Amino acid sequence: MRALSPEDRRVWLLIAGITVIAVLFIPFSQMVLGVRYDYTLRTVALGGALLGVVSGVLGCFAVLRRQSLLGDALSHAALPGVAIAFLLAGRELGILLIGAGLASWVGVHFIQSLTQTTRIKQDAAMGIVLAAWFAAGIALLAYIQGRSDASQAGLDTFIFGQAAAIVESDVRLIAIVGLLALMMLGLFWKEFKLITFDAEFAGANGFRVSVLNMALSTLIVVAIVLGLQLAGVILMVGMLIAPGIAARQWTNKLDQMIMLAAVFGAFAGGTGAIISAVDANIPTGPLIIVVAFGLVLVSITFAPGRGLLWQWLRQRRDRKRFAAQTARRDLYRYATNHGSPTTPVPTTFLEGVGGAAARLGLQQLQHLDQAKMQGSAWVLTPAGIEAAHRDEHNRHLWHMYRQYNDELDLPLVPENQQVDIRQLLPKDAVARLEQKLAGGDR
Amino acid sequence: MFGLEQLIIQFLLNFVSVDALNAFLRNPQHTATIVGGLIAVSGALLGSFLLLRGMALTSDAISHTVLLGIVVAFMVMASLFGREPDLSSVWLIVGAAGAGVATVILTEALYRSGLVKQDAALGLAFPLLFALAVILVARYVDDVHLDEDAVMVGEIGVAWADTNSHCLNNCETVTITPTDPRAEFSRQCTNCRNLGISPRDEGAEFVEVCRNCEVYSPAQAWQAGLLRQPPSLVFWPRSITVMAVMTLLTSLFVLLFYKELKLSTFDAGLAAALGFRPTLLNYGLMVMVSLVAVGAFDAVGSILVIAFFIIPPAAAYLLTDRLPRMLLYSALIGVAGTYFGYDLARGSFLGLVQMNDLLAALNALFGLNLPANWDSSISASMVLMIFFFFLLAWIFSPQYGLVSTLLRRRRQTHQFEQQVVLGHIFHHQDRAAESDELVVSTLHQHLRWSPEKTRRLLDQLQARRWVVIAADRVALTPQGQDRVRAFRRTQLARG
Repeated sequence: MRALSPEDRRVWLLIAGITVIAVLFIPFSQMVLGVRYDYTLRTVALGGALLGVVSGVLGCFAVLRRQSLLGDALSHAALPGVAIAFLLAGRELGILLIGAGLASWVGVHFIQSLTQTTRIKQDAAMGIVLAAWFAAGIALLAYIQGRSDASQAGLDTFIFGQAAAIVESDVRLIAIVGLLALMMLGLFWKEFKLITFDAEFAGANGFRVSVLNMALSTLIVVAIVLGLQLAGVILMVGMLIAPGIAARQWTNKLDQMIMLAAVFGAFAGGTGAIISAVDANIPTGPLIIVVAFGLVLVSITFAPGRGLLWQWLRQRRDRKRFAAQTARRDLYRYATNHGSPTTPVPTTFLEGVGGAAARLGLQQLQHLDQAKMQGSAWVLTPAGIEAAHRDEHNRHLWHMYRQYNDELDLPLVPENQQVDIRQLLPKDAVARLEQKLAGGDR
Repeated sequence: MFGLEQLIIQFLLNFVSVDALNAFLRNPQHTATIVGGLIAVSGALLGSFLLLRGMALTSDAISHTVLLGIVVAFMVMASLFGREPDLSSVWLIVGAAGAGVATVILTEALYRSGLVKQDAALGLAFPLLFALAVILVARYVDDVHLDEDAVMVGEIGVAWADTNSHCLNNCETVTITPTDPRAEFSRQCTNCRNLGISPRDEGAEFVEVCRNCEVYSPAQAWQAGLLRQPPSLVFWPRSITVMAVMTLLTSLFVLLFYKELKLSTFDAGLAAALGFRPTLLNYGLMVMVSLVAVGAFDAVGSILVIAFFIIPPAAAYLLTDRLPRMLLYSALIGVAGTYFGYDLARGSFLGLVQMNDLLAALNALFGLNLPANWDSSISASMVLMIFFFFLLAWIFSPQYGLVSTLLRRRRQTHQFEQQVVLGHIFHHQDRAAESDELVVSTLHQHLRWSPEKTRRLLDQLQARRWVVIAADRVALTPQGQDRVRAFRRTQLARG
């Protein structure tokens, strides 16, 4: 068996953790929130969770292909299909959904041909389809409502979604169609992965990119259509992309991202449905979106290495780590520009340039005996000047590295001028850089 | 608002009589077209810049999130002042503008974190704000005039009925006090409900209450028959004023900042370098979009307004390369769409096709059972007509249309084929291989075309006197040689 890297372990731990939270959430909601698990709630929660899995998984591709808003356009575009299907065949859920899917599918084609034949960009094309298709749907619904029989009642729940209307057969439909869609995804896994990350490479290697694009968009349409009843056309986009965005923060691997998105989606769908049962006045669809957005917020804040918290901590650490160096550089440059390295530099200048970090850096320098205070100014000590020279030399070596690393065939290292290059490169490489620097290339 | 309406009416009365003005405004189509046209103009002006900046879908996001602003404004108004604001209230507009800015800030914050792409940030931000709005509506403001249909569709068809009355002549406000001889009184039982008894029962106490004691505006007084002389009144639809103000603000914004908008649209970097503050301008643009969205909310609903922002500018973008013309064309397309859209909702497509006939034909042809009477949403029909004009632009645009592109490609293919034949002859003429390469009956093998195609091209070239055919050999005429040389020169010049 393949050894797990720390990142992999983290993802699996996260998945396990969320599963545990989800399981614990059920008794918690019963005891603390006082939710009663009747037939309706069980059905809705199960439907929400299943839908979360399907849309979360397929939404990953929309997110990665930067087509997040395609979901929005296509869910709105489904409406005329619902209306026409109703006019032709009556209120049969399966047929209504097929109509919805066909209308969105025509919308995808329209977007594609519009962007291919004109200079209209994709976002505007999506906006056109969204508005025009939706208007057609509204016009048809208004026309339908003009007729006298009452059977059209509830057709416009597709706009806002109505979770309470979901029955067992709907859940079965979501499960079966969703499973089929996921199986399609598994079948064309390699192809979809390829066109997502490098469509040109896929085209050059003989994959039919436009056909695959269409297939992937069709699968996304399927996810949207399944969700219409629960979330409605407006909120469906959130349901589609939020789990994917949250999952993206935790991993760089597509398979892990998709598994995480499935778990996140299920969590948001299930718990959202349960929480909304606390009060009869809270609609389910919007609450699922709020939970999903909460997951996104948690992910972009706490995701290890990538999250905002980590970014902030790293910045703080770096500021501390490099404060002395930065202050030394500012001192040395100002002093040499105004006479000699031993010229006193006004404190106001240093603090004006460096702010709080400068104060910290100067303290550190004083501690190292590299600078001392003279009234309202600072002066470098001989040790400080020597250190400043070392820094400058290091910077010059970095310049050489940036310019000649190809020519001198040096190993690739991440460029950071504040780090001593000698620690990153082997000795002979540094020697070659020194040689280049001494050779008067500058 | 009221004073502004009076100014407009005074101005209009220079041209038309009071009766004519009232008759004009009472026609639902006129009012709907005016309101829709104003929305179309302001949408077109702002939408053109959004489209060119690649921000077309921002209007989608904002038009959804103004709902949150409206709901919050409703709740604040209801809890602080104990009354509902109407849709032209300043607070509502402030709330909507705030929601628009909040959308942009939330999107930017998500995007700036570097963890979420721009489209995903937008796709996260507005469903969240919209979801919050829906939850708030469902949870706290049950009984407010904010039903879901209005959110989607608006009520442009009844805009003519929601009016302010303006009195011009014989303006007499009537106040009826209890001492007035016209006052009418009725008896009301004061303790019947508390005691649960009927007014006929023993112990019921009564007071005399004046039924008609209030201050009557001239219009109300005339209606109640309190005036002998009819006042001359103008009934002015409120939506027109709201949208007129929005259009005025939008036009002023675009006029005042035209240079800045243009520069930051086409070269944001340069605009920033010259000190034009493109970020600030961007926020200004978003505030304007929110204002128009909230102003249009009542008339066309929050989703269909997107069409007014995106489709007309996209159509104009296919028709011209110049910004002023794009603004003009998109406004015209929007206004035309609203005018003909009203007819479509009432069943007439541009006066060419009657929808009822179409439905009857469909029923007859396919044996369907569609209801035969077409009567539909006005705002949605307006959008459909705008979309129809967009389709026309896409197909027939002289420069970027499908037809002209197709014709151009055809012409280019044709020219290229002619040049291939001419070049082939030029290349092999007067050479050793001539006897092999330039035989008419086998030429198609060298070009790898079908014999018919080769024959057809040779005929065309012969008709132009660029080649001559003699004894199954083809040769260039002097004109043909000039043609090849000219062609080669342009190719060389192109590099």
